[in-house]
Amino acid sequence: MSWVLHRIDDRLIHGQVLVAWGARLSPQRICIADDAVAASEWERQLYADAAPGIAVSVLTVAEAAAAHAAESASPGGAFLLVRDLASALRLAEAGAVIGTFNVGGLHYATGKTKVAEYVYLDDEDRAAARALLARGVSLDVQDVPATRAVPLASLEPLQ
Amino acid sequence: MSVSPQGPAGGGETRTGVVPALLVMHSELASALIHAATAVYGPVEGVPVLSNSGLSREALEERIVGEVAGWTHGGLVLTDFWGGSCHTCGLKATRGRGEVLLLTGVNLPVLLDYLHNRDKYSPAELAERLQLKGRESIRAQRCSDR
Repeated sequence: MSWVLHRIDDRLIHGQVLVAWGARLSPQRICIADDAVAASEWERQLYADAAPGIAVSVLTVAEAAAAHAAESASPGGAFLLVRDLASALRLAEAGAVIGTFNVGGLHYATGKTKVAEYVYLDDEDRAAARALLARGVSLDVQDVPATRAVPLASLEPLQ
Repeated sequence: MSVSPQGPAGGGETRTGVVPALLVMHSELASALIHAATAVYGPVEGVPVLSNSGLSREALEERIVGEVAGWTHGGLVLTDFWGGSCHTCGLKATRGRGEVLLLTGVNLPVLLDYLHNRDKYSPAELAERLQLKGRESIRAQRCSDR
């Protein structure tokens, strides 16, 4: 069973992930693939404590890519979370076989323009999105399971 | 540490300072709680609110830090639920800030108790009291026909 959600979300573990997606998909494990969080023992513990009853692991993107195939064969469901499209691309380029990324939250920052209510992109994001699509990875914009998934490319041209 | 929810610690000694608080919650919940508290308590002053709507983790942390940075004698960051971005960003923003404490799972009874007692306790004592108040405020009841 293993991977039941691959999500791009700059908030990583938060309410939508735990309450909405968690209730729908009942993950036993959450893997955060994030170099910055992995480098901080305090932040690793912060996220481990944030999801009671779920085993949280925090890995670098490279470590997560290396562990991705083995996790695919594990019993029970698992979520994989990355904070941005660049990290998602690095995962795919490092060999993680991922069919679809759920684009759940890329919030406003300077230089980013609005694509959806909770998705803002800059040129680097668009380049990463194009590269992921070129590799055959689908990018579906959807914050919670009760809303409809919409292909990112249908919301705006990524060129 | 244990503090009686019935009265201030120290044999009834009353503190003169007010423990500041910041509400950080999802969507418009913090504003709505203040609005509801106003109807029960009266005008509420000096309790800023923050919504996480539309904010990245970094932006939310930055706004929380902006609010609590001046709390030289401590204070309380009140958030709605464990594991949400308001909670985890609140923890990160208050890290290493001494008597700035975070309380999560906050509801209207907790907010009302804070308003009635914010000048009677230290931040740590008040946090302990409010935690007990929140637990006591949730009760399941079955009403018989008699």
